[in-house]
Amino acid sequence: MTATFVGSKPGNRFGRAIGDSIAMTGRNVRRLMRAPDQVVFTLLSPIMFTLLFRYVFGGAIKGLGDINYVNYLIPGIAVQTAIFTAGNSGFALAEDRGKGFIDRLRSLPMARSAVLTGRVAADTLSNAVGLLIIVLVGLAVGFRPHSFFGLLLGLLLLLAFALSTCFIFALVGLYASNVQTVNAATFPVIFPLTFASSAFVPTSTMPTWLRAFADHQPVTTVINAVRSLTIGDVSSAQRTELFAGQSTSSLVIQSLLWALGIGLVFGSLAVRRYNSTSS
Amino acid sequence: MAQAPTRSGSSNQSVAVSVDSLVKTFGGTVRALDGVSFEIPTGTVLGLLGPNGAGKTTAVRVLTTLLRPDSGSARVAGVDVLADPEAARRVIGLAGQYAAVDEALTGAENLRLVGSLNHLGRAERRQRSEELLEQFGLSDAADRTLKTYSGGMRRRLDLAAALVARPPVLFLDEPTTGLDPRSRIDLWAVIGQLVADGTTLLLTTQYLEEADRLADQICVIDHGKVIAEGTAAELKAKLGGTVVEVTLSNSDDAITAEQALKGAGEGAPTREGEVVRVATSAGPATLTEVVRRLDAAELEPTGLQLRQPSLDDVFLSLTGHGTSADDEMPRPKRGRRKAKDVS
Repeated sequence: MTATFVGSKPGNRFGRAIGDSIAMTGRNVRRLMRAPDQVVFTLLSPIMFTLLFRYVFGGAIKGLGDINYVNYLIPGIAVQTAIFTAGNSGFALAEDRGKGFIDRLRSLPMARSAVLTGRVAADTLSNAVGLLIIVLVGLAVGFRPHSFFGLLLGLLLLLAFALSTCFIFALVGLYASNVQTVNAATFPVIFPLTFASSAFVPTSTMPTWLRAFADHQPVTTVINAVRSLTIGDVSSAQRTELFAGQSTSSLVIQSLLWALGIGLVFGSLAVRRYNSTSS
Repeated sequence: MAQAPTRSGSSNQSVAVSVDSLVKTFGGTVRALDGVSFEIPTGTVLGLLGPNGAGKTTAVRVLTTLLRPDSGSARVAGVDVLADPEAARRVIGLAGQYAAVDEALTGAENLRLVGSLNHLGRAERRQRSEELLEQFGLSDAADRTLKTYSGGMRRRLDLAAALVARPPVLFLDEPTTGLDPRSRIDLWAVIGQLVADGTTLLLTTQYLEEADRLADQICVIDHGKVIAEGTAAELKAKLGGTVVEVTLSNSDDAITAEQALKGAGEGAPTREGEVVRVATSAGPATLTEVVRRLDAAELEPTGLQLRQPSLDDVFLSLTGHGTSADDEMPRPKRGRRKAKDVS
């Protein structure tokens, strides 16, 4: 019935979707590697925050007992970095749409999901590199994780969370008419989520109304999970103060559930949006 | 290089593209396509001609599965585009205005990426990429990122990207818009070669010269409707054989001349600024008559010529405005429209 063609051979649909995702990831990684300044600029503000809080504000922060503030700070900075870096999923998709590259992709017999999976995979890889740099900066300013294993688990957890966060930005990128709009639309959300959290100060020092929000939002949960993995043994009084009395495993499981939930909800919204729009 | 589709299918393969009564509205009021129908016989070129906002791009977007029409049907190489968009994507190539290449990648990387997304094997996509770069005169620039390419090189690469999977049907949406004359002529040569090799081509353009030069058949659309169809020669013949064109020094003189020349040729003379045109089938005799009348009216033309009508003349007489008219409906804003697309 249909004409013969040289291109696409019918075959395993799933296998082809994987292949397309790998091809798109490769393209996106190449682009990132050719614009290293972009990655550096994304890391600039977390590095500034590290220095600012470590050396300027750190001495004034109360409620930590015998815990060294730099060990408290770096997990917060790492989560902030992960979220900032995930933002690229939104910017890059908006740019591809604006330049017509998405139109080219939509006219090809590729798996449509690969545009999103390739984007998210590339930005998660870039996140891995970014987090590594932030950990090195942290080590340079005195961050001492309790164990290497704890640090590794914390970083893996963070990558899972970063991956699902990419889908939130991807969705914004598929709605926004340009890169500036993505920035304008996401900043008012990122700012309260990263600052009204346990990232820089214990939530016990906040006013009650703010604490109610800060204690129950996912960014705090993930920061606390990473912090609990890297900070080592704390007294039960400190655990109540810093982690609302929750154990490391409980925090890790909650974080994974948040990541899964965000990924499923925003992932499916983004797929729907991609399938229903042109350019 | 590009090959025609096989003729063994049970469907009618002598028609590569058929479009029937396509309607697409944007925002409920703008009828970008208002019942457009046309056919393209296999191995031929259809020039879709019209001013900005006429509906050319919308028609291409429907045919390339980027946009779902409100009603109507479209078939490409035997595939129902609306029922099976995925199959349609395997038989088409799209290049032009809005289908882009990646500026951060090299020419070769761009082509290999498209090959990979067309599911060509590794060796095949490498070979195909080299072939196309060679064919389009881009071999020397193969390993440079597109940031270093000129506008003309980028358009050639864009066209090459559309050809990676050797699609039997190719859509070029204003392929030379914005190019300098030299690059335009280069690109025409490349397109001409594709057509000679049997590719079916739909070309949208606002340049009459381009349609005249490349297209077997021309379909003129305006306000979402087909207003004329035929070969370039047929369309020109509709205007009468030849045109006497008189240029006056100012438009007041031109208005006087328009009055004076009534009845000199066939139909009423037309005026555009300082230029008055008289259509005729008896060229030299009419020219003599025109000169006599101008003389009698004491008008001194600054230019006077007898020529074949251009497609511009055709377009003017069909639409009442030139091809560069900007009083058209605007192209719907990108990213804002509530278009329901083919998924």
